[in-house]
Amino acid sequence: MMLAALLLVVQVGVAAQDPRLERLDPETRSVVVWVVDSARAVGLPSEPLIQRALEGATKGAAGPRIAAAVRRLATDLGTARTALSQRTSAPELEAGVAALRAGASPEVLTRLRDARRPPLTMALAVLADLVASGVPADSASAVVLAMAPTARDADLVEFRKAVERDISLGAPPGASAAVRAANTGIRFGTSDAAQNPSQPPRPPSRP
Amino acid sequence: MRVLALIGLACGAAVATASGQITPGLDAGIAAVKYDGFLLSGAASVAPSVRWDHPRGKGFVSARGTYLRFESGNRSLDASMRGSWFAALAPRWRGELGLGLGASDYASIAHFSHGIVDARVHLMDQVRGGWLATSFGQSSFGAGPRPVAVVAIGGWLLRADAAVFASFDRSFVGDTAYSDLRSSARLQRGVVLLEGTLGARILSDGAGRGVYGEASATVPLGGNTALIVAGGRYPTDVITGSIAGSYLSAGFRLGASGGGIRKPLPAARPRPAIPHSSSGADGSRGPLLPPAEARLEVAPGRSTDDPVKLTLYAAGARVVEISGDFTDWKPMELRRSLTNGEAWEGMFRMTRGIHRINVRRDGGPWTAPAGTTRSADDFDGEVGVFLLP
Repeated sequence: MMLAALLLVVQVGVAAQDPRLERLDPETRSVVVWVVDSARAVGLPSEPLIQRALEGATKGAAGPRIAAAVRRLATDLGTARTALSQRTSAPELEAGVAALRAGASPEVLTRLRDARRPPLTMALAVLADLVASGVPADSASAVVLAMAPTARDADLVEFRKAVERDISLGAPPGASAAVRAANTGIRFGTSDAAQNPSQPPRPPSRP
Repeated sequence: MRVLALIGLACGAAVATASGQITPGLDAGIAAVKYDGFLLSGAASVAPSVRWDHPRGKGFVSARGTYLRFESGNRSLDASMRGSWFAALAPRWRGELGLGLGASDYASIAHFSHGIVDARVHLMDQVRGGWLATSFGQSSFGAGPRPVAVVAIGGWLLRADAAVFASFDRSFVGDTAYSDLRSSARLQRGVVLLEGTLGARILSDGAGRGVYGEASATVPLGGNTALIVAGGRYPTDVITGSIAGSYLSAGFRLGASGGGIRKPLPAARPRPAIPHSSSGADGSRGPLLPPAEARLEVAPGRSTDDPVKLTLYAAGARVVEISGDFTDWKPMELRRSLTNGEAWEGMFRMTRGIHRINVRRDGGPWTAPAGTTRSADDFDGEVGVFLLP
């Protein structure tokens, strides 16, 4: 506890010198610095928190709103790290937060960690993208988990692009994910792995 | 009488019994169908149906099954049942209580089912009418049931050899919501019955948008047989689980086709029940926002140390700025491309991973560009998220 407190004091001095945060008003800056340093003290990345504060400043958000956003992000980063691993990289944590906010559960993140070798950034980002595109969170999670053990990052990206193309053509997001998953050999809605998921998703097939 | 009814069913003839009229039917045909996301495919279908009508018009029950086989060898099975009971509420006013059930399976990959209860109030005379309806129920894809609610209003006009319909409905299936504005017509020209539908899906969140239309011609061949030629495009039906597609079909109908004022549906239209769902079990959903005016393209460098080229396509813009976590959220003005007057470019150093970006053109509001995943930011606005692999 003493060490943590000491770290906190030391880190406050470091963060307070970050010139980028001078764009915040003094009251907001002090809150943000406190959150950033607290996060850093427990090993969470500080840069995403600073960036969130700067985003709020650029968008003209009120100080309390900025502080709340930074606090919320710090909490989400902690949740993502708990679900993933203490050794998770900052990009993975950011992608994990995106997936959580999209609707994936912490359990899904943990299962993904167990199913795939790091880095998990791409898999988490694709999961978040699928849900943000309208694919139901449970369906998107099932697909990504099924592809995770052996699919390359490029395969996941190609899968996401294929679903986005379908959606832009008017296909319902869930149907597109189901069909695309079926085209890769995944039995949609089950945990069956793809027959050969290292192959990129096939182009549109006949029904 | 029961034996007679069964014989009638086998022969495709309507059988009147003391307890009502039973009308069997059998549609068989071939089609070329292009579902969204699939290649064009040939298909053959067989669809038996049966309908029972109350002798005094107080209600009906109909059931239909469809076996559809595609040229790939995949097959689709679909079964549905619909029943309605009518009651006189007042002069010219009628109430209707209905129940619809259905289930389908596509290639043993996807299963779908639904159950809907609806209530309608009709106001009608001999040549025109209108109705107001509300429906509730559940639609399930696999183990994920989702609530269904629909409100609809419609009207019809009847002439000697023609009928015209128009309706507007708003449907909610889980967190998917959409509206359909539809009009349709039936026209009798000699012995040929022509039917057409024109509609538009609007105000849609998760169920697609666009204009659709179908047309069919039914030509009696004698006896209880008719030739039906149909074609067109239809929208996704989120409740019953068919995805949007276009088709051209020809088939035969054995048995009475039925008449009266009802929604015309081409008989030989093949619709494999490829289930879909656009609502999460937890109700979560990314926001679907209107398309941005600018589209972002990201061109990573050859190595992770190389700067990344961002190109914004913004037709007609005089000034284009971006702001993102790779600029510390400082607005940066892009320069117009030397080769494309609608493209604006900039080189930025950024790390691999997820990035957030906003775009502003001509000093307007900050928006999320197309080409990114649009998300709600924490400040009552939107932000574009993209992944640098």
